[in-house]
Amino acid sequence: MQVEAHIALARRIEASLRKCGDADYEMKIESAMLAGTHWLNVLLHRLGTNRAEQDVFHTYLLTINEFRRLAVAAAPALQALAEIEDIRPPYVRGNLPGGEQAAERALGLLSDIRAAALGAA
Amino acid sequence: MRVTSHIEKIGKLQGLRQRLDPLEDFELWFWAGMTAGTHAVNAALHHAGVTGDDDMFATQPGVYLVAQPDGSMKNEFRPLGDVLHVGRPKVEAPVPDDVAAMMEQMEIIEHYRDPCLREGMAPTASIVKECDIALHSCMELLAARLPGVDLAS
Repeated sequence: MQVEAHIALARRIEASLRKCGDADYEMKIESAMLAGTHWLNVLLHRLGTNRAEQDVFHTYLLTINEFRRLAVAAAPALQALAEIEDIRPPYVRGNLPGGEQAAERALGLLSDIRAAALGAA
Repeated sequence: MRVTSHIEKIGKLQGLRQRLDPLEDFELWFWAGMTAGTHAVNAALHHAGVTGDDDMFATQPGVYLVAQPDGSMKNEFRPLGDVLHVGRPKVEAPVPDDVAAMMEQMEIIEHYRDPCLREGMAPTASIVKECDIALHSCMELLAARLPGVDLAS
């Protein structure tokens, strides 16, 4: 997908995110994952690491070789998305206590990925 | 995860979904519905005795985050408990007709997941209506299986 389309989708998700309250931590975490993935793709496209038709969906669906290749260019953003993805099982699919704090962590990681993408403009 | 925990998640997600605009907030509206529906299918599968309801959390097919005696969490291979999405993994055991129907409704929703959320397909009123009807049908089937259980709170 083109950079502009990724940005538009990420911005839409982030706008909807503002309608979530503290108790809606499941969808805050999911929003961080969804928008973060779009921002990571913006970064990878802008760095020239991936072409527009070569989007990352989830870091855990990448081959180890591809993960390592992308990490050469964008390790912090890639690791940030991976951490958001790891937050999902216990708090979105599961009911481990501490979901509000986990959501804040996920949103902080989303900010990091967004900043990296915008910084690569 | 226990049926009651899935029901709690459904109530929260449905509450948020009702506060979102289906088109303006399509991505989150859709995702909240898909997640609620997946919890519903998991609750029904547990209730039917098809899958286990242990409090462990799916990380990938066949792998679950499991609480350890010292309070930490660790990924372990486990028999099928919660599915991540309908079809991931495929449930190989026989499934009652009503639960199979719930899964079919969720497949209608899942069909739009990647195109609309990751590939740039623009959401339309028609897609919204199709997903809304499918989720409503899925929840009605769960309500019929769990009479007396409030799915809206």
